[in-house]
Amino acid sequence: MINLEMSEQARVDGRTANQLRPTLCSRSLLERAHGSARWQQDNTIIMAAVYGPKPVSGKKEDPERATLEVLWKTKSGIAGNADKEAEVTIRRTLEYIVLSSMHPNTGISIILQVVNDDGAILACAINAACAALVDAGIPLTGLIVAVSVGVTTHGVVVVDPTKVEEKNFRAHVCLVFPNRPKCTVAGLPAPVGGEPAEHGIITCVTRGAMSVDEYMNCLERGRAASVKIAKFTRTSLEHCQRSYEIMS
Amino acid sequence: MNSFSGGRLSNNEKEFIQAALRAEQRIDGRRPFDARRLTINFAKEDGAVEVQQGRTRVTAIVTGTLGAPYPDRPTEGSLNIFTEFSPLADPGFDSGRPGELAIELGRIIDRGLRESRAVDTESLCVLAGRAVWTIRVDIHILDNGGNLVDVANIAALAALASYRRPDCTIGGHDGQEVIVHPPEVREPVSLILHHYPIAVSFAFFGDGDIEALDPTVKEEAVMGGRLTVIVNSQGDICAIQKGGGVGVRHSEIMRCIRIASSKAVEVTNQLKKAIEANGIERAKRKIKRHPDQSMSEAQKGKAEATQDIQMEEVSGVSADQDERREAVMEILRTEEMEEEPTISEVEEEDDIPVKVDGKKQKLNVGGKDIGGMKVEPSGKEAPLGGGFSLWANEAVNGAERNFGADSKQFDSDAIKEFEQVSEAIQGAKTQEKSIKATSSPLGLLDSGSLATMAAATVYAHMAVGEFPEGSRPLGPVFPKVEADENGQRSTLDSIKPVPTSLLDAVKKPKKRKK
Repeated sequence: MINLEMSEQARVDGRTANQLRPTLCSRSLLERAHGSARWQQDNTIIMAAVYGPKPVSGKKEDPERATLEVLWKTKSGIAGNADKEAEVTIRRTLEYIVLSSMHPNTGISIILQVVNDDGAILACAINAACAALVDAGIPLTGLIVAVSVGVTTHGVVVVDPTKVEEKNFRAHVCLVFPNRPKCTVAGLPAPVGGEPAEHGIITCVTRGAMSVDEYMNCLERGRAASVKIAKFTRTSLEHCQRSYEIMS
Repeated sequence: MNSFSGGRLSNNEKEFIQAALRAEQRIDGRRPFDARRLTINFAKEDGAVEVQQGRTRVTAIVTGTLGAPYPDRPTEGSLNIFTEFSPLADPGFDSGRPGELAIELGRIIDRGLRESRAVDTESLCVLAGRAVWTIRVDIHILDNGGNLVDVANIAALAALASYRRPDCTIGGHDGQEVIVHPPEVREPVSLILHHYPIAVSFAFFGDGDIEALDPTVKEEAVMGGRLTVIVNSQGDICAIQKGGGVGVRHSEIMRCIRIASSKAVEVTNQLKKAIEANGIERAKRKIKRHPDQSMSEAQKGKAEATQDIQMEEVSGVSADQDERREAVMEILRTEEMEEEPTISEVEEEDDIPVKVDGKKQKLNVGGKDIGGMKVEPSGKEAPLGGGFSLWANEAVNGAERNFGADSKQFDSDAIKEFEQVSEAIQGAKTQEKSIKATSSPLGLLDSGSLATMAAATVYAHMAVGEFPEGSRPLGPVFPKVEADENGQRSTLDSIKPVPTSLLDAVKKPKKRKK
C-alpha cells in the first residue's frame, strides 16, 4: 500500500498542509429541480438538488415554518445508518440558515447524490446544499461554508484530506462556519482583516480521537481555510447573478 | 399511457403538442424521428459514467464482487441491474423502494443485456461452482427529461465498457484458493462485451398513426403508447417492449424497427468513439502509477485540466449556463493562483516554498493533483530550467523506489503506451499549444519545459540516479540502450510510432477548445 511517510510539508498528492483541493461549483444543472448545484473538490463530487417550497403531507406539515428534509443518496448500495446520520447533521445545519418561517405549511427537500467520494464528503455535501438552496431561491439568513480538517498520526493538522488520508489519519473533523460578510446584529465584533464578522461554529463532526490542543488547532486551521472557500462561494454566486444582469 | 412524472399539463398544452405532431413538428423544434444530442462523460474511476441526452441525465456505476454462482449455472457469473429513480430527478419520484416504472426500466435494460448475451458471463467464472464475479450496475436517474430507458441503457453500456474488474488467479496449496490482486499490483481486466444493444424508444399519439422518436417529458405525458426496440448495430433485435397503450398497425411497427436499426448504428459509433477516447485518457492516467513518473504527473495534471474543462463544457444545457460555468471556472483558476499567497500569509511558517529558477513559488500547480512529488528542502536549485526535477531528490529515490519491484510487473504495457504517448506529445506541436492554452492559468510550466518533460517521461522509467546530479543537460536526451532486467528498453529513435488507435487519438486532441 502507499507509504504515507508524512513529512510535515508534503502529502501524497503534493499539497501542503494548508492547501485545499481545486474546487468547482456549478449551478442550475438539473431541469426539473427548483435549484441544483454540483460541488467538486478534485475527485469528491456531490450533486445537490432542492425542491421547495412544496406541499407536504399532513404529518410533516408545520403551521409555523417550512419543514426541511434531507435525502442522502449513496453512489451504490443501500443507505445505511451512516447516511442517515449525515442526513440529520445536514438538516440541522441547514435549519440554521433557512428562513423557514417565511413559508409555513410547506416542505423543502434537499437531495444529495454522491457521485464520487474521495474524502471530505460531508463538507462537500454541505457546500453543495448551500449553493443549491441559493439556486432555488430559498430565503436564507446567510451562507455557510464547510471544510474538512484532519489530524495525522504525528499530530500534524492538515486541511481537506482525501479518502486515503482520512483512512490513515488519527482523526478528521468536518467544520461548518457561517459565511456572512457583514452582520446586522448589534454587539457582534466588526469585520477583522476581511474575515467575515460572524464567528462561531455551526456544526462540528469528528471522527477519531485527538487531543484538546490538536482540536483547537483544527478549529483555527479550518477557520482560515473556510475564509478562502467562503470567498470562492460568494464570487461564484455573485458572478452568476451578474451574468444574468448582463444578459437581460 | 401517461407517465406520472410528466406532471400536470393543461388541455391547451396537450392539444398543442398533438396538433404540432400531426404537422410533423415537435415542441422543441425537432422532426418526428430526430433524437436529441447525446453526450457521454466518463468519470475518472473505472465503471462510472454520466450520460446526457437533451435534458435527461443518467449516471451508471458498475461494481463487481466475487461470490458463489447460481446453483443451476455454476460456470457463469451474473449481472444485476438496479435502477433508482432519485428524487433529484423529478418531484414526483419518491425516495425509498423503486416504483413500478423504475422496475420496468431495469428489467427492459436487463433483458437487452442478458438475453442477447451482450456481456460474456462465462468469462466471469473463476472457480466453477465456487467463485464467480457478480457484476452490479447501479443506474441513478439524475434528471428526468423524458425517454429514460434509452439514456439509462446507454449509461449502463458505457459503464460496463469502462469497468475494470480486479485480476485474480487460482492458487493456494490445493489450487482451490482465489487470490484477488489489487489494482496497484496487477492491471485490472475489462469485461467482454460482444455487442452493444441500443434501446430506441418511440411514442405514439392520436390513434397510433403518429410516432415520435425520443420523447420529452411533456410528450410522454401526452402520448398514447410507447414502443422500445433494443437492437444492435448488426441488426439483431435484442428486445422489443410495447406495454399496452394505443394499438398500432404492424406496418408502423416495422417502420419503427427499421428506424431504430439505423439509429442504433449511429449511437453505437458514438459510444465506441467515447469508449476509445476514455481508454486513451485512462492510459495517460496510468502513467501516474509508475513510481518515477514525477514529470508526467504534471502532464497528467494538464490532461486533467483539459478533461475538466471539457466535461464542464459538454454538460451545459444552454449557452448561458455554459458561459456561466466557464466563467466560474476561469475565476476559480485565477483565484486559485491569487489565493495561494493569501493562505501562505495566514500560515506562513507551515508552507515550504520551493526555489525554482530563483523564484519562490508554491509547489503545487494551481492546486491540481500532481501526485507523488516530494518537496526538496528550500535552497536547492532545480537542475532543469522551467520545471520541477524531482528525480534529483533523494527523497524520491529513497521513498518511491520500493514501488519499482512491484509495479514493473504490469508496467511493460504501460511503458509501451506512454512511450508512444510521450513521443506523440513531443512530436505534436499543436497538442503542445492546446496544452499550453489550458494550463496557462496554472502558470508554472511554460512551453520551454514541455520538451524537457517529454524527455523526462521517456527516460524517467529507467532506474533513477543513472545521471550524476550536476551533469544533467537541458533538453531532450537520448540515452544509450542498456540491457535491463525487463529487456525492453529502447531509445526514442527505435520506437516506431505504431499506428494504433491509441496514438491516432492522442494526436487528435488538437481540436480541443480553449
